[in-house]
Order: sequence, then C-alpha cells, then structure tokens
Amino acid sequence: MKFMALIRQIPDAQSQIKISGGKVDLSGNTLIIDQMDEYGVEEIIRLKEAQGGEAVVVAFGPERTQEAVRHALSMGADRAILITAEGYVDPVSQAPVLAKVIAEEAPDLVFAGGQEADWDSQALGAVVAEALGWPLVSWASEIELENGKAKVRHDLDSGSEYVRVTLPAVITTQQGLNEPRYPTLPNIMKAKKKEIKKLAASDLGLTENKVQISEQAIQEKARLGKFITAGDDPAAAARKLVELLHEEAKVI
Amino acid sequence: MDFALSQEQRQLQTLARRFAHEEIAPVAARYDQEANFPWPIIEKLHQIGLLNASIPESHGGGGMTMLDEVIVGEELAWGCMGIYTIPMASELGITPVELAGSTEQKERFLRPLAEKPALAAFALSEPGNGSDAAALQTRATREGDSYRIRGNKMWITNGGDADWVVVFASTDPQARHRGVSAFVVEKGTPGFSAHPIHGKLGQRASSTYELVFEDVRVPAANRIGAEGEGFKIAMRTLDKTRIPVAIGSVGLARRALEESARYANQRRAFGQPISQFEAIQFKLADMFMGIETARTYTYYAAWLADQGLPHGPASSVAKAYASDMAFQAANEAIQIHGGYGYVNEFPVEKLLRDVKLNQIYEGTNEIQRVVIARHVLSQAEA
Repeated sequence: MKFMALIRQIPDAQSQIKISGGKVDLSGNTLIIDQMDEYGVEEIIRLKEAQGGEAVVVAFGPERTQEAVRHALSMGADRAILITAEGYVDPVSQAPVLAKVIAEEAPDLVFAGGQEADWDSQALGAVVAEALGWPLVSWASEIELENGKAKVRHDLDSGSEYVRVTLPAVITTQQGLNEPRYPTLPNIMKAKKKEIKKLAASDLGLTENKVQISEQAIQEKARLGKFITAGDDPAAAARKLVELLHEEAKVI
Repeated sequence: MDFALSQEQRQLQTLARRFAHEEIAPVAARYDQEANFPWPIIEKLHQIGLLNASIPESHGGGGMTMLDEVIVGEELAWGCMGIYTIPMASELGITPVELAGSTEQKERFLRPLAEKPALAAFALSEPGNGSDAAALQTRATREGDSYRIRGNKMWITNGGDADWVVVFASTDPQARHRGVSAFVVEKGTPGFSAHPIHGKLGQRASSTYELVFEDVRVPAANRIGAEGEGFKIAMRTLDKTRIPVAIGSVGLARRALEESARYANQRRAFGQPISQFEAIQFKLADMFMGIETARTYTYYAAWLADQGLPHGPASSVAKAYASDMAFQAANEAIQIHGGYGYVNEFPVEKLLRDVKLNQIYEGTNEIQRVVIARHVLSQAEA
C-alpha cells in the first residue's frame, strides 16, 4: 500500500514574529515542520511498518521547506516530493496542484494536518479531498485498516464517532493520533540518500493565487491595568476581583 | 575556509536541541537534587542513536565525527552538564579501544555498546595521583595468557554503571610511564568492585566511583595495544576527549546567558528592566564574546582531530579556555539574578556547581596550561 502525508513548514512556537513593510518577516526564526503535519508523517511511517508498502511525503511551500522535508525523511519516510512556490498560496489555490501530484502517485491514504499552526486554516485536507473527489475524515485520533477500508475515530466537540471510509481517502490529523518519533542519527544519515523530487507549482498549473495578502499587522492587546486595594475588607476585594474576571475579562 | 554546517549536521543540532529541551532540561533539577542516575535519558539517547555515537559504522555505531559530537554535545550540556557527562565519559572509555584496539577487540567491545543502552568508562586517576598520571600504583602482572590486576582507581565517571572499564596499570613499574599498559575489565569480573563517591558539589546526575581491583584476572586478549603503550594511549585519548569537555562548557555558558538575558528583561529596578543598565549589558556582552570565541575555537580543535592533524595543544586551549569562560559566565549569571540566583528555584546556581568540574576533570586547567606552555617553548628558539 502507499501512504502519503502532506507537510508544510512554519515558524516554531518560540518565534518572535516581526512585521516589516506590512508583511510578516520570518528571517532569523527557526522554521520547523507543522506539528499537526508531523502526526501525519508519524502515521504513514507506522502504517508502512505494519502493512508494508511506501511512506511518501508531499510538501508545498518555498524552497526552504526542504528542511521540513529532510526532517520527515529522517523520521523514516521513504521519499518526498517538494512542490515549490514562493510567498503565500491559499489552500484553495494549492488544492488542484496537490491533487494533480497525488492522483499521479495514487496513494491509498493521504494525511493532512487538522489545522495549520501559522494560518489557523483547517481547509487544506478538505479542499484536496474535494479536488480529488475522495472521501474526507477530519480530526482523526485513531485509524485502523480493514479489508480495503479505514475505520477512523473522528473527534467532535463533546464526543467522538467511528466512521468507515473506502480507500483512497483523505484524513486530517489531530493531537492524540500518535506520538511522533524523534529522527535518529542513522535515519538522518540514510535520509541523505533518499529522493526529494522537486516540482515547481507554476509548472503544475498554479497561475494566480485566489487570495492575496495585502497587509499584515500584529495585534497588541492592552492590559486593563486595574488595581484592587484590599484595605480593611479583603472579602469585598475578592468579590470585586471575581466580578471583573467574570464580567470584563470573561475568563471565569 | 567554510564555516557552514552540512545539512546533516544542522539536523543533528536540531535533534539534540529538541531532545535537550524536551527530555533533559525539565528533569535536570530533580536528578541533581536526588543525585540519581538518569537511565531513562540514557535509554532515550540510545534510541535516537546519540549514545556512543562515535563507534564506527563497521562496528554497528553511528560513525559520528568529532565535529558532529561537539555539535550535539553543546545542546545536551545546555540541558544539563551533569547528564551530558555520562555519554561524554562513555566516549572517553570507548576512545582508547577506537584508537589502539584490534579489529577483534573493537568488534567484541564496541558493537555491544552500539546495540544497547550501555556505557564504558576510563580509569586512569588513583587516590594518590591525578595530574601526575605516570606515577600510578595499580599493577598488572602477567600470568600465562592472562594478567592479574591489583590497585585502586579514583574519580571514575560511570565506573560502576559501565559494561566495561579501560584500566591503566603498570606492567613494568621501573619504566614509569613507559611501563603502563591498558586493559579492558568487564563488569562482574571477580575481584573488581565499584564504590560510589557521595557528596559532590555538582554534576550530581552522573555517578562517580572508586574502583577496587583485588587480584582481578583479565585475559591477555583484553590488553589494548602492546605492553608499555598504555600511557601513550591514555594521552592520545585525552587529546581528543578534552574537546567534548570544551563544548560542554560552551553549552552550559549559553544556558547561563539565555537565563540571564531573560531575567534581565523581566526584572525591574529603579523603574526599568535591569537589562537597560550598562552594568548588566556589559556582563551579557562578555558572556556572549566568551561563548562565541570558545565555540569557534572548539569547532577548530574538533576539525583538526577529524582531519587527523595534530590537535593536542588545540584541545588543551579549547578545554581550559572554554571551562574558565563558562565558570565566569555561570558566576555572572548568579550575580545578575541576585538573591534569586543563589537558590535552586532558578537554574543558575546549578550551572556554577556543575561547571566547576569542567575546570578539573580530563586534566586540570593547570595541566592544560603546562601542555600549552611546553608547546610554545618547543616552538621557540633555545
């Protein structure tokens, strides 16, 4: 069987995001694989180890995304395809390009991150499934293959359901699906010899980005800066604090 | 000249950095306080291939170069110098076998250390001698196809935890350092016992032992190199393994700087963050200058070792310079933290306790200066 994971590269959680010229400037930040995508990489490696076959990663992004691709290969993926496009490309514009590559590879299962850690978008898995005409299960926390079908646990806000889908299918990940392994020294060395096929998104039909970013800014939240003096009546001060936390901050 | 790390080296750095953040730093204070041996971390290091990683691929290891080793070492020591000392001292034990062992010995001793989470150790110092290594009192007497070893070894990191220990003993006491030979003594050999040394100032996650050899019978097949070659093997080993001590100091100093810069931005005095005061800024700048120069020089020493070029004086410079620099950095980190730096609620007091050992082990910084001075004088006109 062939298992595929879609991956992206994002700034890590400790990054200090700067804006220069109305655009996010990522220079000087550590860029890593999106952790939601990493669950997908771990899952295709596990499926391949259990079922045999091939674990392939497909990355979409600027040239530098190669580092995230190397990471996936060092975890144990067999080979990679990197579709390069500089700048922001929205999921709907990415979908036909990815679908073209996926259709040619003809995997049995495709994993995408449940949510993009940088853009917060949850669209990629869904739009790729639509472009392929394949079924989609989002927010998967458990997968089992049985007789050419996948039994998937799909988590909802207040519970979960098990669904069965025919293959090929697209599945989006979520925390709890697995615990991604560290790369290892031998796998880092082996990854050196693994194939990374590079394709330009423009050669695959990407013409115009449907969504253009005109300007970006960082939202700065001002503190309320309220002081409550306990004075002679600490009980009243506590009531006041609870009231503010409830009414204004809306945190309790 | 090319200062760029390779793709694989950058990945190793990322891996080791993540491992130190996720697996070492969160538990470092606990292992220090409890003076417990961190086997779970050693097992995980083995899983990701970073334990005993210098073992050549032909004997089942990772085949890491010295430069690879220092890239990884800086990150692990950032997490905890005491914990880093454990794999570092295991490499110290492995190195004599790598340098002077036969193919059969390498296969017999190194392969098991690549296949499972296990350690080696290196036993040169004795209760009565350290820097004067040639004055060792441990004796090995040839008896047929084996040797009988008698004597005590002191300050042996991993000594009681290691699967085997390289022991330096004299086969010809009259010949002083030319009479020293090296032997692999396996754990559990009758007459060999290890006694933990308690009450260490720092690096308390690593275990240090006194080793006792009471007529320990060791097969002649366990002698590394020829009789009388032991001292040379020990010195060639230390010429290499001082380099990881240097990079451990760099990692620890980087931790001191990061903790200090963060604290200085948060702590306020006289109406502003203390990072606004030049008295603090100068300390941070000095720490940064020391870290950058020590790292670059340590990379150079590692590069020399990897090229097979003479690296003895360079590794002495790296070790003494980096550990003195790191001691200063840890000391200033406490000063910047004030009272908070003096209690174990913050991680900086541990840095000072840990780094003190870097100035002592694998050759005191005084001995390093002797090596460096001899090198200088040998180059000068008489």
